Amino acid sequence: MKRALPVALGLLAVALALYPLEATGYGLRVGLQLFMWIALAQSWNLISGLTGYVSFGHVVFFGTGAYTASLLVNAGMPWPLACLSGGGAGALLALIIGWPCLRLKGPYFAIAMLGLNEVMRVIVSYAEGLTGGGNGLSLPTLDASRSIYYAMGLVAAAVTAVTYAIVTSRFGLRLMTIREDEVAAEAMGIDTLRYKIYAFMLSAIGPGIVGGLSARDQGYIEPISVFPLIMTITMIVMALFGGKGTIWGPVLGAVVLFIFQEAVWARFVYLHQLLFGAIIVAVVLLMPRGILGVLQQKYNLPRTI
Amino acid sequence: MSVLITPAMVGQVVISGLLAGSIYALVALGLGLIFGVMRVLNVAHGPLMMLGAYTTFWLFQRFGLNPYLSVLVSMPLLFLIGVALQRFLVRRVVDAPELSSLLLTFGLSIALVNLAQLAFTSDLRSVEYLTGSFVVGPFAFSKPRLAACAFAVTITAGSFLFLRGTRLGKAIRAVSQSREVAQVCGIDVQRIHLLTFGLGSALAAAGGSLVAVMVAIQPEMGQIYTFKSFLVIVLGGAGNYPGALLGGLLLGLVEQLSSLFLTAQVNEAVAYVLLVLVLLIRPTGLLKGRV
Amino acid sequence: MAPILEVRSAVKRFGGVAAVNRVSLALEKGRIYGLIGPNGSGKTTLFNCITGVDHVDEGLILLNGRRVDRLKPHQIFHLGVGRTFQVIRVFPELTALENLLVVTTAGYAEARRRAEELLARVKLERLAGEFAGNLSYGQQKLVEFIRVLMTDPDLILLDEPAAGVNRTLLNDLLDAVRALRDQGKTVLLVEHDMKVVMGLCETVFVLDHGEKLAEGAPGVIQADERVIEAYFGR
Repeated sequence: MKRALPVALGLLAVALALYPLEATGYGLRVGLQLFMWIALAQSWNLISGLTGYVSFGHVVFFGTGAYTASLLVNAGMPWPLACLSGGGAGALLALIIGWPCLRLKGPYFAIAMLGLNEVMRVIVSYAEGLTGGGNGLSLPTLDASRSIYYAMGLVAAAVTAVTYAIVTSRFGLRLMTIREDEVAAEAMGIDTLRYKIYAFMLSAIGPGIVGGLSARDQGYIEPISVFPLIMTITMIVMALFGGKGTIWGPVLGAVVLFIFQEAVWARFVYLHQLLFGAIIVAVVLLMPRGILGVLQQKYNLPRTI
Repeated sequence: MSVLITPAMVGQVVISGLLAGSIYALVALGLGLIFGVMRVLNVAHGPLMMLGAYTTFWLFQRFGLNPYLSVLVSMPLLFLIGVALQRFLVRRVVDAPELSSLLLTFGLSIALVNLAQLAFTSDLRSVEYLTGSFVVGPFAFSKPRLAACAFAVTITAGSFLFLRGTRLGKAIRAVSQSREVAQVCGIDVQRIHLLTFGLGSALAAAGGSLVAVMVAIQPEMGQIYTFKSFLVIVLGGAGNYPGALLGGLLLGLVEQLSSLFLTAQVNEAVAYVLLVLVLLIRPTGLLKGRV
Repeated sequence: MAPILEVRSAVKRFGGVAAVNRVSLALEKGRIYGLIGPNGSGKTTLFNCITGVDHVDEGLILLNGRRVDRLKPHQIFHLGVGRTFQVIRVFPELTALENLLVVTTAGYAEARRRAEELLARVKLERLAGEFAGNLSYGQQKLVEFIRVLMTDPDLILLDEPAAGVNRTLLNDLLDAVRALRDQGKTVLLVEHDMKVVMGLCETVFVLDHGEKLAEGAPGVIQADERVIEAYFGR
């Protein structure tokens, strides 16, 4: 069993890598988006799943990355570097927000994150000279779907790998103690604020990079397209459904719900969002640990699932 | 472009601030009750308010019912809805880690907003009932705002009389101070939870009905009130009910005052900046509260 | 010799009530102290203030002569203070071993060695990989106890170590506490079980309604009328 998993993963990786050779433009876009959602859900998991601090405004890092990367591309920077910078911008923003807000207990942090969306949109609109305000930003036309597909795939893989590394380390254990019992964690010598900030910053890099990649792919961004609440909602549903706090849970959730989304969203936007809301409620009430979490408990699976 | 700020302008702004603040206080009191009694942050509070606004709209649209009278309908209606939500959903997460109730009410808020989208469409609605202002000297009192404030004050005062004077109200305060002690004193905590969620929802609905005359009604209208109600609770101190009043008025004042100096767009961020400031400097609230 | 811990006129209020009201005490190194008092007398609040979980409104707390009353819990921990809690607070979704590993900043290999050694000392080595939440009450209590010992603190605060524990386990715990004292550690324990306090502690502090009522050797305290009145009278 232990040997089968890496082999299976390897085969999957090869298949995914060869996919673009056969795929249509639409198929490529689907694959690219799936990777994006995996990266997003996995990143949300890093802060909310591991430390228990629910981030309701995580899309803020996606939007920040999108704008940062777009501005840099327009200034002449090659897009791969620009997107990485988007990730850096996300981490920096996480530090700025996290330093005051993470020193509060969970509910207060959640409140702060709720309002964040509003603020970012206001800031972006206000800094019109820089960001083009409500008119949006255009990037030079470029057909790089294939490259972006690979880039997104790399980010998704990287975030998952980082999650694995964290969960199997003492750093990860310490993050989990914050979730389990923050008071006891503090009393046991863990500087919870520092750890929360680290986790928060790490969780912002993925969204920052994929924000940049998405902007490059679309060729045009505007405030509502890169700070949509539905993106935060989707990240949360995916991670919750698959199993927050696990490694593969967000991946599972992303895959399942992405298929669901492709089927329903295009034609029934509100129904789709309603269902997402209902799924969140259902998961919290019926299987708070998500699918993988439930399996973990039932079959006593290791934490590396 | 600089504008000379006259005392009359400041006075006007203070008045507008207090009028707006009374609504904030009303809605925040509802949220504060739920948080104080059950330690649940009701992210769906804004959507509940939105439902109150729609109730008023449809009653006005279909039956021509005076919007201010419709409060008598929207409050009991949302009370019942609140009780049902508590009974079937929220109750299960009251004792779970806070994360669970946050996520639950978050999911609930999404569901409610989108239900409204499906049922009512996202067309902007309005209730044309009262317009214009009373002019007294250099000050103008917007009529709908004045009426809303009057009703808000009445309802809020009534709530406080209820909390202070009646046995049920005292039971609610007891549970919010210590659930264990309240239980030992023979209080049926489950019933109190049901009542409180219902009451909190009713207060949100009242706020919604009152602003229905003044703002555009659409499914997402409540979201900003959710956040601002949280802010008010933080300002006044969690669990401090009179604090919610003062916090609401303060928020109204601050927003109106800053509008003298900032553009309308940037002013939207004022509430947020205020929250971060308070959380950093005095997280227990400007008055004394339990964190 | 300077006291390892000094509390000077500590006051802690909740709302209008003073849970701790002008309490002063001093602990000498290498002794076992007891803190007793009726329920609600402020014992756990005092513990919380000493360990930084709460902060005193007035007064000072000094550790080895250094003010610690404004520090955060993790900072106080690293100054050599360890504590257990009245209601057991192990991390339920971490294994027993992980509960111990998480606490120390030492290198992984050394931390693991020490953790396994401590687990063996309390005969829990076979449960090292078990989730702490699945352990029995007594086992969790032991894990919480040895967790405190992981970083070899000089001052150890135990909040009701005997609560809910059977005789054999209790004797093992008491022997362990005495061994700590013999190593030069200072122990302060809150306890309701009078036999434990009288048999183990060298000096006992009595709190009542947030105030220090009495202080002295166990035998003296037992005979003190005010103490008797506080527990049984009024």
